Amino acid sequence: MLNVNNIYKNFGDLKVLKGVSTEIKAGEVVSIIGASGSGKSTLLRCMNLLETPTFGEVWMEGKLLTPVDPYLHPEVIACSNTYKKLVAEGMSSGDAIVKIKAEDLLNEKFSSAEGKEYRAAMKKIYDENYIDINVARQKMGMVFQQFNLFNNLSVKENIMFAPVSIGLAKIRKAKRKNLLIKLGNLFKKEKKELIEITETKESIKAEAEAKAMELLRRIGLEEKADVYPSTLSGGQKQRIAIIRALAMNPEVMLFDEPTSALDPEMIGEVLDLMKELANEGMTMVIVTHEMGFAREVSDRVLFVDEGYIKEDRPPEELFKSPEDPRLRDFLSKVL
Amino acid sequence: MSLVTIIENIAKIMGRYWYVFLVKGVGYTLLLSIIVLVCGAILGSIMAIGKGSKFAPLRWIITAVVEVVRGTPSLLQLYIGYFFVPKLLNIEGLSAQMQAFVCCAIALIINSAAYVSEIVRSGIEAVDKGQTEASRSLGLNSFTTMTKIILPQAIKNILPALGNEFIVVIKETSLASTFFVGDLMTAYLEVKGATYLSTECLIIVGAIYFVLTFTLSKIMGVAERKMKAHA
Repeated sequence: MLNVNNIYKNFGDLKVLKGVSTEIKAGEVVSIIGASGSGKSTLLRCMNLLETPTFGEVWMEGKLLTPVDPYLHPEVIACSNTYKKLVAEGMSSGDAIVKIKAEDLLNEKFSSAEGKEYRAAMKKIYDENYIDINVARQKMGMVFQQFNLFNNLSVKENIMFAPVSIGLAKIRKAKRKNLLIKLGNLFKKEKKELIEITETKESIKAEAEAKAMELLRRIGLEEKADVYPSTLSGGQKQRIAIIRALAMNPEVMLFDEPTSALDPEMIGEVLDLMKELANEGMTMVIVTHEMGFAREVSDRVLFVDEGYIKEDRPPEELFKSPEDPRLRDFLSKVL
Repeated sequence: MSLVTIIENIAKIMGRYWYVFLVKGVGYTLLLSIIVLVCGAILGSIMAIGKGSKFAPLRWIITAVVEVVRGTPSLLQLYIGYFFVPKLLNIEGLSAQMQAFVCCAIALIINSAAYVSEIVRSGIEAVDKGQTEASRSLGLNSFTTMTKIILPQAIKNILPALGNEFIVVIKETSLASTFFVGDLMTAYLEVKGATYLSTECLIIVGAIYFVLTFTLSKIMGVAERKMKAHA
């Protein structure tokens, strides 16, 4: 469902991720643990491109979200001028790729002097697999540490905002296309058919509102529908943030330390809602400091440290018999 | 000259020239102010958003405009507008007074837009980055995020500063009287020329300016309270 392929992320001189790969399968619940500053949040944010990886690719359901990373496609590298030169000089193809990659990693960008053929090969892969990031993000819910409810909208409007905005944008787009088709039809003998627009502004709003109320009822906060976020407690805010993401019917949910900014007595209500989602079969990636929770709900736990995934195992194994010394050290501190 | 005579003179002047002050003067001042306020606010907001653009030359141009406008006197900008705009736009069909009015309006709009853009930019930057991230993570494009989430919150934050700028604009329109555009200060020059009662005319004009700006500041206060009501 979600493929992270050899991700590097640099913030200036700081190298946060140094080649991370993992696959999130449909229905899987994956927890990411690690000390602060280890890069676990960055890894999560790279998954929906809130951070753009410096190198590497992110794929979602066979669609490419990031630019093409030539090192992951040997056929692209094979088109590059430098590669051809190095091979012609007698270097083996594997060594040549390693050398080019090392140089580019140093310069933090893909070399531009690799010729037309190289760029065309990259463009071909991109064009075949490209998906608009905004479309991809509609299927990826994200929950933040600081809740990030929209302060200028009421609770209900918060939940309705994305479905309504995106629904209306679709109608506008269909109408624009119809206009073009109508104009075209004036001059052609073969009349093209218009796109059928079944939804109206009102129907989209009504549908979104019904869905919002249903979700609010689910978490027992329907009486808060018309209040503004500033009047809510942390736990309420976070649960609303979760159902706001659910309103888009996402296929995967990303949680970035969802309970770290909460008072202790409110952590339970948020974790309960997340457990419910996990039991319903939602695909989830959770960056968390709640080891007990990670152990209980996860199918797999990733331990991220120094920019690498050091361990990637089911929770029982990982917590019982940690292999990596840094993980052992980490667990002894937090457990 | 006693206070009593001044008050008597003011009454006399108002009796005879009320039309020049209250209708013509206030009319032109308000017209000029409203045009400058609205166009300046729109242009300023566009400039503020443009300053966050990825296209570097656009950012440079906007920064240059803001710096030049901030670094030169408003009166000088009006002179430049007065002599330069007729070369760019064909406004010869208008009366001399209307030509001056258009030139002054354009110069004041650019002046106001520069200040408004700085205010709006500070407001945009003050909105938590998490708001943008939340909106983008839901799959909304940057335009919808900016217009529906960021700008409404930014405007709420900058309303006091914006109100201040609007009051400054109303007062700056008085500079346009240099070119006799018919505003309140022009009315003062006119009536003073006819009556030779400089002090009285100044008091009248000052009082009218004060009423205008005070009303505006009260309106802004109401808007602020309304926006504070939620969130």
